[in-house]
Amino acid sequence: MTELTRILPCGVRLEDLLLQVADAAPPADEAHQATCPYCQTALRRLRRDWADVTELANQPVSVPRGLTQQIMAHVRSLAAQASDYILLGHPQGESRISHIVIGRVAQRLVSTVPGIVFASVRAEPHTPPQADRVALSIQLVVRFGPALHPLAESVRHRVQRQTPRLTGARIERIDITINDMAV
Amino acid sequence: MLGVRADAQDAAQETFVRAWRSLPRFRGGSSMSTWLYRIVTRRCLDKLAKRRPTEALDEIEVEDDLDPAQAAEHRERLRAVTHAIATLPPEQRAALVLREFEGLSYQEVAEVLGTSLAAVKGRIHRARLTIIQETSSWQ
Repeated sequence: MTELTRILPCGVRLEDLLLQVADAAPPADEAHQATCPYCQTALRRLRRDWADVTELANQPVSVPRGLTQQIMAHVRSLAAQASDYILLGHPQGESRISHIVIGRVAQRLVSTVPGIVFASVRAEPHTPPQADRVALSIQLVVRFGPALHPLAESVRHRVQRQTPRLTGARIERIDITINDMAV
Repeated sequence: MLGVRADAQDAAQETFVRAWRSLPRFRGGSSMSTWLYRIVTRRCLDKLAKRRPTEALDEIEVEDDLDPAQAAEHRERLRAVTHAIATLPPEQRAALVLREFEGLSYQEVAEVLGTSLAAVKGRIHRARLTIIQETSSWQ
């Protein structure tokens, strides 16, 4: 048994006094402690010793010159990269997928929706830039027949559901414009 | 936590980069500060796990008005505390630093470390016992 795990002659555990000192907690038995010489001696020693820990903890920590700028430059460079790619983090590295590829995947998905004659999809960075999110802008040429609003919702639903599965991108927003109709 | 300024700077940078990347997944289940403490603590624990045990700690810089002899003794006491903290098991060290140096409550420390309140109290208590025993007359 170490010194600190022993019990004082008055029956108080020394480690309970340490808890009291370190947490600035009230004594378990204030009346006893006020008159007990064993507790008072132990508390004096513990307070003196713990003061070094408190002092160390209170030492001011200055941010090294240039560190904030260095970190922000790094984060900004990532944000700039995210405007061209999505970044998928992994403990052993990171994967980048071009917005162009995401747009092409979404374009293939849209083209398979019945009623779509032609589709163009552009993937754009989410604003503000975030590593794995994109906004999609979809331009459509449709054939005459299907109701246009349900058709647009079919496109949105397919893209929203399938693009993340195929690319890892998270779709923040989908804007659809029906530009023309093939007759 | 790391005791080496260069490692701490690396950990700070890695933390903010990771936070930026993870921000879309931050759901507000904890406070932003708890979330950042969780990231930085994980980075520090990873670094400690990879560190060679012989790596030297940075010297303590103390500003005071003491005479040279007292200042030297003062520095030595604080150095002993630093050394005692550095020799704690990493999980105890993390809990202690979050509590004593960062001023988090026991509950907040538990949230940062992803463990129970009882486990955190146990770790901090053992850490305190070790420090006092290593640095003082309680031997």
